[in-house]
Amino acid sequence: MRLRVRFSKIGKVRFVGHRDVARIIERALRRSGVPVTYSEGFSPRVRLSFGLALPTCYESDAEYLDIPLDPKSIVDGDVVCTGWGEGNTYSTEQLRMTLNEALPKGFEVMALVLEPKGGPSLQESVVSCTWRFDMRGAETDCVEKAIAAALESSTIEAERKKKNETLRENIRGGVHDLRIDGTSELGPMVVAELAAKPRVIRPSELVEILAPGAELGVARRTHQWIEREGERCEPLTPTNSRTVKDLT
Amino acid sequence: MTSLWPRLEPLLPRVEKPARYIGCEDGARTNIYKPEATSWLLTYPDTYEIGLPNQGLQILYEILNERPDAFAERSYAPWTDLEAEMRRARLPLFSVDTHRPAAEFDIIAFNLSAELVYTNVLNCIDLAGLRVRASERDDSDSLIGAGGHCAYNPEPLADFIDFFVMGDGEEVIAEITDVVGEWRQSGKPSGSRDTVLHAMARIPGVYVPSMYNVVYDGPKLVSVEPRHSDIPPTIQKRTVADLADWPYPRNQLVPLTEVVHDRLNVEVFRGCTRGCRFCQAGMITRPVRERPASQIREMVSKGLERTGYDEVSLTSLSTADFSGIEQVVADTIDEPGTCGRVSIALPSLRVDAFTVGVAAQVSRARRTGLTFAPEAGSWRMRQIINKLITEDDLYGAVRSAYSQGWHRMKLYFLTGLPSEMDDDTLGIADLAQNCVEIGAEYTKKASVTVSLGGFVPKPHTPFQWFGQNEPEELQRKVDLVRNKVRRNKRIQLKWHAPDATTAEGITSRGDRRIGRVIEHVWRRGGVFQEWSEHFDLSLWQEAMNASGLSLDWYVHRHREENEVLPWDHIHAGLHKDFLWQDWQDALAGYGLEDCRWTPCYDCGACTEYGIEHVVASPAPPNGGSQGTGQDLTTGHLVPVELRPRASIGGT
Repeated sequence: MRLRVRFSKIGKVRFVGHRDVARIIERALRRSGVPVTYSEGFSPRVRLSFGLALPTCYESDAEYLDIPLDPKSIVDGDVVCTGWGEGNTYSTEQLRMTLNEALPKGFEVMALVLEPKGGPSLQESVVSCTWRFDMRGAETDCVEKAIAAALESSTIEAERKKKNETLRENIRGGVHDLRIDGTSELGPMVVAELAAKPRVIRPSELVEILAPGAELGVARRTHQWIEREGERCEPLTPTNSRTVKDLT
Repeated sequence: MTSLWPRLEPLLPRVEKPARYIGCEDGARTNIYKPEATSWLLTYPDTYEIGLPNQGLQILYEILNERPDAFAERSYAPWTDLEAEMRRARLPLFSVDTHRPAAEFDIIAFNLSAELVYTNVLNCIDLAGLRVRASERDDSDSLIGAGGHCAYNPEPLADFIDFFVMGDGEEVIAEITDVVGEWRQSGKPSGSRDTVLHAMARIPGVYVPSMYNVVYDGPKLVSVEPRHSDIPPTIQKRTVADLADWPYPRNQLVPLTEVVHDRLNVEVFRGCTRGCRFCQAGMITRPVRERPASQIREMVSKGLERTGYDEVSLTSLSTADFSGIEQVVADTIDEPGTCGRVSIALPSLRVDAFTVGVAAQVSRARRTGLTFAPEAGSWRMRQIINKLITEDDLYGAVRSAYSQGWHRMKLYFLTGLPSEMDDDTLGIADLAQNCVEIGAEYTKKASVTVSLGGFVPKPHTPFQWFGQNEPEELQRKVDLVRNKVRRNKRIQLKWHAPDATTAEGITSRGDRRIGRVIEHVWRRGGVFQEWSEHFDLSLWQEAMNASGLSLDWYVHRHREENEVLPWDHIHAGLHKDFLWQDWQDALAGYGLEDCRWTPCYDCGACTEYGIEHVVASPAPPNGGSQGTGQDLTTGHLVPVELRPRASIGGT
């Protein structure tokens, strides 16, 4: 069995990189006594598999993580803890709350389920992500026009720097949704659903196209989408009551 | 209170490792702001990754934040990319806890753990928006303080720092807070800065350089004398008598981004009396004060549970000397909360105290890196530096480690030691070769990393009179070792750049005139001099020339017995005649026993302050006077002579 977890990363902690997030989660799992499993070898590590890596500086309401558990520790659908959690047996909802206590401010477990191992990995199955971001120094009118023009056209040309050369490529096929959704104190707020395959398209690439000279403000991944029996859906839907901890 | 976060946040996506600047550590205090309280900004003048784990800073952070009338936040030197962004956006230095501007704090206090950070200290003061020279700051400006091991020669920074603290900070920080608190209450009116500094200069352990006049006779220093009769002519260090009274940090900070020593750190004892003559830490932190084993167990167990770390380091200057070390290690590994998955790091291991027993205990959990420090390549040299471990001690420790499953270890050596001859230097290569050969008996993968540092004589040690080797000579010695181990693929050699060693020598034993040099290097952009990508010796040479000072006179010259040393007014308890005698004994090749297990030889560290060792076991953990039981009285028949400093090569 494994735990599948959906968590958020909001506020100052958006500047923490992906590898550091893994270390933070490992510490929270140890503090809570979650019966994790370890890799073999000279220096065993906790087995964790993350979904699509989130770029540093981005926020998220939709990070995913699979944690294989020691099968002996699952009793009647509850998780029997070890280590510093010795003596505790938690339902998944209790475990969700326990992990939230152990995580730093800015991280919150939004949903947690116990499920059988197997199936495609999170990383392979995510087809697209929805993002919400604002743009510093952009005019709403101009962005609106740029979006309309982009969606009408059959090409959206993005530039990517790769080593010494600049690649130009058409990303129109990877832009599934693109619209203005209000404004923030920085500028227009944009919602976009962008493909994760064959490569992940990032909001920062769109800023250059929609408002040259403007700067990406705060971007948040709000959804990661997978396909299940032809339907687009999320791996997990939030079960928390959105009691986001006081963010500084 | 002002938070700079809204102005800082847009800059962070443009810089490397932005998580350095967000704070948010578990254990950090963000709701401590009290408008009436005395505020400290504890600043580490190097990167966040280097500075965050600093134990001294974390201890003071907690102690201050426990006071109702004070609070403390932390700051670290911004890396050059963020510094450029900050200067462009006119954003001053900030605390990472609540992102308040540094200049809003009553006191900005620097931790000085290495000399090459001095230019960063100036840079941080400047980034705070304050004048770098103490004499040019206004009455109500933040007071700039400094402490840590390098404060024992405060003179090179005397022009920039308002007050220095000597020794353990746990108690004196309260006395400083009281005095600064009164100044704060007074509203810091015109003329009050001198008054508060004068009051601080009367606190034992506090040195206010502006209250002392320096007299020179040509290049020679004549005296450093107090300007007022109620200020002591000598500043005595502060010592916490019993570590058991200070179980800090209680809530070690857990950073969100990886730092050096990213693990639980528990200080098991403070001070060391092994008496290694090159070692400043071992001289200035005497006597040995062990923490009770029961308190260590509690700090380890509570700390691991609170932080979620799976590694703990038992820190001290020589951890294997702790009374009952095997038991403490065993208890840590057997702590049920860790499920046997905790690794133990034992930094600073004496080879004569690293037994199979300790190795076996440590290796029950995940094996951490092992570092031994023989320091010198020959027994003759080790007698001179009083690192009294025999070759057999080293091989025994290495055998213990390889036999318990380690594949590699690090060996630390110094080169450029007093009277070092080429045979001594080459001995380093022999030792390393013999170590990997022992390893090869146990594993095909056996290897050894040899780390070679250039020796910088430090104040308050018996070697403070010794003229440091020139960079060319250090490089020649490095090359001797390099050529000898080159063919051995199992030995990796790393060395500290001789140029950086030279710059360290300028600040290590410099006097107040070196302040001009530090300022020159800083003004020319010489920050992060500890980092090879930023270090540039030519800046230092240029600064010495511009200030009319001689590198040779400050760094490479042997000092005379009766010379006034720039730190003579600072006392770590050690009698100057004790240090001189130890220097003479060194040259004669006489060893000196560890006084924690043998009778007192009155170095002054205990007797001057009416304190003594706190050691649980009356015998060394591994038997014998130094753990080896060798006869220490046989010195060389003919005292070695030091080579005149002008020539290179040979004695």
